Amino acid sequence: MSKAPEQETPQSEEEGILEKFQIQSSEMLLWTILYGLLGAGFFIILSFIPRPYIMVDLFMFGLAPAMAIITVAGAIRGPIAGFLTGYIGTLVYDLIVSATVVTFTLTAVAFGLMGFIVGIARYDFTSGRSLVKMSILSIIGLIFTVLLTVVIGLTVEVYADLVVLGFVMLPLLTVGIPSVFLLTPLFARLWHLVMSKVMPEALVR
Amino acid sequence: MTISIKNNKFILTVLVLAIVLAGMTFGNIPGSATSTSVQVVDGTTYNFADYPALTHEQIAVFNYLDTLVSQPYGSWDGWYIYPEVVSLVHYQLAFMTYSIARMFEVTNGYRTGYYSDVAYDLIKKMNTTEEVYHNNSIESMEWLRPSIGYANWTEYYYPDPINHDADDVYTGGYREPANIMWTAHYALMELLHERSFNTGEFFDEYNWYMEDWNNSLTTDGLGNATEGGIWECGLIPCQPYEVWTQCNSIPILFTELYDNMFGSNYMPIWDYGLNFMNTVMQDQYGLFVDGYFVQEPMGYMDTHLSTQQPFPGNQLDAYIDDGRPYVSAYGVAWSMLFLEYTQENETIHDYPIFLDVYGKDISGDKMYIIDSYNNPSGFGTYDILANLYTVALALQRGDLTTRDRILNFLWSPYNKVWSPDGRAMHWDSLAVEPFLQSSLGYGYIWATVPVTVKDLAEPRPTEFWDYPYISEANDDVIWVYQAHWDPVSGGFILNIRVDETAELTFSNFASSPIAYSGGVMFGEFVAAEGNYKLTLEPGTYHLVIVEGGM
Repeated sequence: MSKAPEQETPQSEEEGILEKFQIQSSEMLLWTILYGLLGAGFFIILSFIPRPYIMVDLFMFGLAPAMAIITVAGAIRGPIAGFLTGYIGTLVYDLIVSATVVTFTLTAVAFGLMGFIVGIARYDFTSGRSLVKMSILSIIGLIFTVLLTVVIGLTVEVYADLVVLGFVMLPLLTVGIPSVFLLTPLFARLWHLVMSKVMPEALVR
Repeated sequence: MTISIKNNKFILTVLVLAIVLAGMTFGNIPGSATSTSVQVVDGTTYNFADYPALTHEQIAVFNYLDTLVSQPYGSWDGWYIYPEVVSLVHYQLAFMTYSIARMFEVTNGYRTGYYSDVAYDLIKKMNTTEEVYHNNSIESMEWLRPSIGYANWTEYYYPDPINHDADDVYTGGYREPANIMWTAHYALMELLHERSFNTGEFFDEYNWYMEDWNNSLTTDGLGNATEGGIWECGLIPCQPYEVWTQCNSIPILFTELYDNMFGSNYMPIWDYGLNFMNTVMQDQYGLFVDGYFVQEPMGYMDTHLSTQQPFPGNQLDAYIDDGRPYVSAYGVAWSMLFLEYTQENETIHDYPIFLDVYGKDISGDKMYIIDSYNNPSGFGTYDILANLYTVALALQRGDLTTRDRILNFLWSPYNKVWSPDGRAMHWDSLAVEPFLQSSLGYGYIWATVPVTVKDLAEPRPTEFWDYPYISEANDDVIWVYQAHWDPVSGGFILNIRVDETAELTFSNFASSPIAYSGGVMFGEFVAAEGNYKLTLEPGTYHLVIVEGGM
């Protein structure tokens, strides 16, 4: 009597994971990759725009819209699209501006991780409560990115402690936190507004 | 409306916060490029983009440096000198000079006191003496109370400082043989002033140094011809007991320019030393090492190394302590920068190896240079210096990607601060390292102006001094982005912004000049004692000025 549901449970979990990752069918996988590539494109474009910032003592404050593209891609299309946006976006941007693959692409992986983490949850873009959740998960994703970047810097590149602290970790945190906290819900809502007019079927996830 | 706001209060809150945060941070975005235009005058096309130009920010930074330099020679307001950095102050003066000398070349048709006064004051500050300025003098800060190396520099003789006799050469003089880290910079500052302004004022002094180095490098200092000179390595010490490639690169560039300006042939005196640098003073990568002891310093204590320091010999590296030489990226970058004119192939060969060995990637748009690959986890004054020299080297090598990546790294942690009148700008480094503030100013200029150190080794042609130029102007209310006489087309290119009504005096025009703006005649020159004056109202002008007929 109780075997049937036990047999069904693994299947539904697998389906649930596939659905969460937006890869439950070939078509969905294709769309997910496409979203990731589009997100990477937006990331690259925004990365080229000079970023306003201000230093307050040793702390840099400002907004980096490109970082919010990674998180919003994850929020819209799930963890794989979020990861691809961060990973490919960072990798290609680095190649364009310096013809350099930075630290065997591990830094790009760190930024991909942020999109991946945000993409794990589901959001209602019309709900303020859900947007708050999106902002909080974006900060959590950013913290993982910063931690991974710091670990890579200390172990693989062997940065000086002062460089890690003053030139990598602090700027990433003080610019990244306001950027992903403020801009991710704004971009998500903007995307929702546009898509609800242009392509409502794309909102179904 | 109220319900709508209530339902969207989070999104409205983040929108307002984002606008506020973005709105207060635009001061640090990169400055705009200098605008140019194309004009046709008398059938000749003048494309302003074909001529070198300064940017608004570069001029504003120069105005900041002017505030540091244009004060009594013994005053150092705004330099933020403290005891640990006194031995570095004269380098600030020297490298500031090399930086702005390249600006003078960009707008070489603008030769009022605006530029020459600053260059002159830098030389005078460099030559401040203990007798007149006491502890505020460079002589005191650089030589008499050094905070680096071993003391008693004034007591040295070569080769025996302790039991010296008639066979030993005195090398402890501040202005004499073994202080190349001051004498070479001082002489090059003077020679660059001559190159830029043709006044002849400093000839006797820099000529004396040329003769002194000739004597040091070709004799034993006692009148006997000796290969390799007094110290038998073909190089001249900074501190009396040690030679460095970077410090010797300065008199080498001086000698190149001197020979080019006066038709002399002193460069062979450096052949022995250049060979010595390129063979003996090398690390395992074929890059320059940092320091070669020509004699044992007085009071030397070799207690911390397991390998005994040889005298003479390359200074050993204490970080690894296995007998390998001490290395320092700032010295390598500086040497390659100033030696490229003399041995271009060496610099071309070594530059990518240098980036590979000393460079650290942070991201695609940021990287930095570590001072020692034997101490990659350290970061201090000399690492910052390594980055400062590398931006100039990267520009000279045409590697703008590396230049920009280091600029992004080193300059981004500081706010741009404009003076209340909008004339001067600097990067505020007070929260991190106040002494760095002036370096960030001249470092930015020498990383970005379209003239390199190598270019300065070539003098201006003799006929240059007959070209028309701006000899007087209301410098405080104008911004001269381009000022250049084109001898081929016979036109003076002037790209200028005028904040208040300003008068410009032009010299060397054989007849009354005519100014064109947008290809049509503009304004009127007034003749005055062989010169011609032009009055400009506030605005930005792209003028082509050609000789008239009257």
